[in-house]
Amino acid sequence: MFKYQFRWDTVFGSFDFLMSGLQMTLIVSAITLVLAMIFGLIIALFDMSPWRILRWIGITFGEIVRNTPILVQLLWVYYVLPIVFNVRIESLVALIIGLSVYQAAFISEVYRSGIQSVPKGHTEAAQVLGLSPLQSFRRIVLPQAIRMTLPPLASNFVQLIKFSSLGAVISVSEITRRGMELSASNFRPLETFTFIAVVYFFICWPLAMGIRLWERRLQSR
Amino acid sequence: MDGAPIIVAEGVSKKFGDNQVLTRVSLPVKERDVVCIVGPSGSGKTTLLRCLALLETPSEGRIVMQGVPISTPQPNAEIKAAGRAVRSDIGMVFQHFNLWPHMSVLENLIEAPLRAKRLPREEAIAIAERLLAKVDLADKRDAYPARLSGGQQQRVAIARALAMSPKVLLFDEATSALDPELRREVLLVMRQLASEGMTMLVVTHEMGFARHVGTRTVFMDRGEIVEEAPGAAFFDTPKTERARRFLQQFED
Ligand SMILES: Nc1ncnc2c1ncn2[C@@H]1O[C@H](COP(=O)(O)OP(=O)(O)OP(=O)(O)O)[C@@H](O)[C@H]1O
Ligand SMILES: [Mg+2]
Repeated sequence: MFKYQFRWDTVFGSFDFLMSGLQMTLIVSAITLVLAMIFGLIIALFDMSPWRILRWIGITFGEIVRNTPILVQLLWVYYVLPIVFNVRIESLVALIIGLSVYQAAFISEVYRSGIQSVPKGHTEAAQVLGLSPLQSFRRIVLPQAIRMTLPPLASNFVQLIKFSSLGAVISVSEITRRGMELSASNFRPLETFTFIAVVYFFICWPLAMGIRLWERRLQSR
Repeated sequence: MDGAPIIVAEGVSKKFGDNQVLTRVSLPVKERDVVCIVGPSGSGKTTLLRCLALLETPSEGRIVMQGVPISTPQPNAEIKAAGRAVRSDIGMVFQHFNLWPHMSVLENLIEAPLRAKRLPREEAIAIAERLLAKVDLADKRDAYPARLSGGQQQRVAIARALAMSPKVLLFDEATSALDPELRREVLLVMRQLASEGMTMLVVTHEMGFARHVGTRTVFMDRGEIVEEAPGAAFFDTPKTERARRFLQQFED
């Protein structure tokens, strides 16, 4: 075992610097979640659409996104999109686009399974009682589907917090990037990255536990 | 005794792919009739009921409600409109209740009257409360379905169907999913409805109900109506070999 003199003060001395990075991490995750929820709904509607072309587009999109690495997608949005469309994309915007597209492909599946989890008998009862298909979707299917999708959506938020660290690669100043910058100047990677890992853990872990309890409560209803 | 026919299956056939499930089934249900359909598993009883409830489209034949065709293999706009118009006149009670779990008992009962019939809320609630009292569940008004026993859920489902004041009520094995000791309370409600003159079409394995409450018993096998007899006659003097063999299962 080597002898190591811990110098935590080098990290705490830059506490505000790191926390502004954390703020960026949470803002990016929140914005991305909202965009991914909207975008995911569109893909889910495509997937379940009665028209073959729309279904094909939705399914192809989902397969491509789910079967390529998120990091490659981010690099693609940041370096390739600007060439193709001849525009400048800020690194922050590229991160938000990349993450929300990626997450949307998963969230669309969450919506789809939520809607399909509503037993057919519930809508048949509605039909026999004279509700229109639209009324039946709005009043019977949607409220039950939403209840089913809330915990998975919250889990997606936890995932986004972790994935947003990839922004460091394209120099978005979220907390991981700030850590890289700090350790480059204080030469203390051990303290710096340990601290950052602990910060991630104490945000993600309580959320994940809370979600697990929530899901169990929903199931026992 | 004989009333006018309310709903009639006229030569109804139904195929799922190559599987011929119903073969030219004709069955008139008259006012105040309590027609009980019995038969072995897979004989097409549920499918016939679903055709009458407009949940399936027949492959041949048609469904006629009080003289007006409401369902045919290729319905034109007029028939579709007729089907929509009589939607709430045909009620159905399912084997697995199909209550909406995110709504309270009262909300389950007023949903269709509010939205499909556009009744004023107070009126819908008044009707719902009267029906809940009738099925002896007035105190469960604000409970959620998951908190109720199977028997209570099925009685709520019956009340929900009645809330639309249907002219005919279809029951698909309403007691099959229930423990034996919970069946009685549901059968009692059904019996009471029958005595009040409700027109009913009842698919059941409860031979006692068919014998004592039914005005007519229909025996189905392999997609066909094999035998039909008034009230208890089917049980006392079955005419076909198939019916005799079917009834033997229920003798102890
Ligand atoms: N949606 C469907 N698609 C394909 N086949 C079906 C469908 N619904 C029913 N069937 C088939 O039709 C046949 C008759 O089914 P049905 O449910 O009407 O019988 P049943 O008399 O109600 O039987 P049980 O007493 O078991 O309820 C069965 O062989 C069944 O597999
Ligand atoms: Mg059946």
